[in-house]
Amino acid sequence: MSEMKKIKNLKEFSTSADRFEGANLLCPGCAHSIIVREVLNATNDDLVLSASTGCLEVCTAVYPYTSWDASWIHIGFENGSTAVAGAEAMHKALKNKGRLKQPDRNPKFVSFAGDGASYDIGFQWISGCMERGHNIMHVVLDNEVYANTGGQRSSSTPIGSSSTTAPAGRVSYGEKKNKKDMVSIMASHNIPYAAQVAPNKWKDMVKKIQHGFSVDGPVFINAVSPCTTEWKFDPKDTMMITDLATDSLVFPLYEIIDGHELNITYRPKNVVPVEEYLAAQGRFKHLFKDQYKYLIKEWQERVDANWSYLNRREEARV
Amino acid sequence: MANKGWDEFEIGAMLRSFDGVSNDIATTQQEDRNYSQSNSFVASVADWRIEKPIFAKDFCIDCQFCWIYCPDMSIIARDKKMIGVDMDHCKGCGICVEVCPTNPKSLLMFPEQADEEAELAKWPAKVKETK
Repeated sequence: MSEMKKIKNLKEFSTSADRFEGANLLCPGCAHSIIVREVLNATNDDLVLSASTGCLEVCTAVYPYTSWDASWIHIGFENGSTAVAGAEAMHKALKNKGRLKQPDRNPKFVSFAGDGASYDIGFQWISGCMERGHNIMHVVLDNEVYANTGGQRSSSTPIGSSSTTAPAGRVSYGEKKNKKDMVSIMASHNIPYAAQVAPNKWKDMVKKIQHGFSVDGPVFINAVSPCTTEWKFDPKDTMMITDLATDSLVFPLYEIIDGHELNITYRPKNVVPVEEYLAAQGRFKHLFKDQYKYLIKEWQERVDANWSYLNRREEARV
Repeated sequence: MANKGWDEFEIGAMLRSFDGVSNDIATTQQEDRNYSQSNSFVASVADWRIEKPIFAKDFCIDCQFCWIYCPDMSIIARDKKMIGVDMDHCKGCGICVEVCPTNPKSLLMFPEQADEEAELAKWPAKVKETK
């Protein structure tokens, strides 16, 4: 059971049996479940999962139903990562004492959380898990807003985005602070693996998840998850928006090994202007008024600067 | 329930996804699983749909893009072949139609009340690319 699942192409991948069930209450077109499926299908091993409070948790565990075909726990908003870390510590202790009933099975420990539960509320708990070196994986479903409670800003919300607590209007263009660079913060804990992934690049994602499962130590994964409700686009366009996010380099896909070895894993052949990414979403529509046009230019400059920063880091191996 | 105090409610709940022993779920396909009544697989969200996808087998190349990008586990793929749509769990988002690469598309959205046989009979023909 412990050898890595072989996934060479999509046809081979499609023979996987999903361990995440339908008739959950996520919005039609929600990218959360696409990410969850790609993570869970990347392995055939047993899974111990948790979800912090957020869309994923409230929609997949509506009493009397559960959508999870693996051990799954929910406790609070902030401590999903810690719950899984505790289970991992217990597993390790029982293994050392030789008291496991099936010692040949190697369960994988994964915690799912939204950006609110990772960037803001669960921040110190995740930081603690990374520092203590538990053998867990923390997956952030980054939709850049508290979508579950009605679209309040989080520290992942990018500049110019209109959210319910930072709305665009007569005097304001919405969110004024830039997004927190969570992957770098987590990589600074010198964890063995931190990566940014996107559901449209499934092969890149599965490769990263499998690498994350194979290393010994905490793993941090940041996955972009377009939200049809709060980003305000049509449900059928989820993959198109994700394509724009990765191809415009707003969400560059890269990995950081041992906190210093940065590799860019996806270089788009045709880089799309950031303007197209912004234009596709209702939350940025006020930026196309004349008085806010300068923000689009600033966006492009910021994205370009970040891309060249990543390239320089990759070259310098720092 | 009405007479219970604030400190008398149950503080947690545990639901079992399967009845009986369930080893190796990761290698067991859905039809062979012993789902319990508390698994959301036994529920349905079919009434969420306004439009439904209809699958035209003849044009499908089994690329499985619809399978990987379906957010509701509703594309049924067995033995590397796409065999249909799970209408109990499909919410009608339309992602599968968007990502379908064939010409004409092998999945298209139709109103919920549309008749599958009739729509398949008048499936659009191949569109020539105009340059």
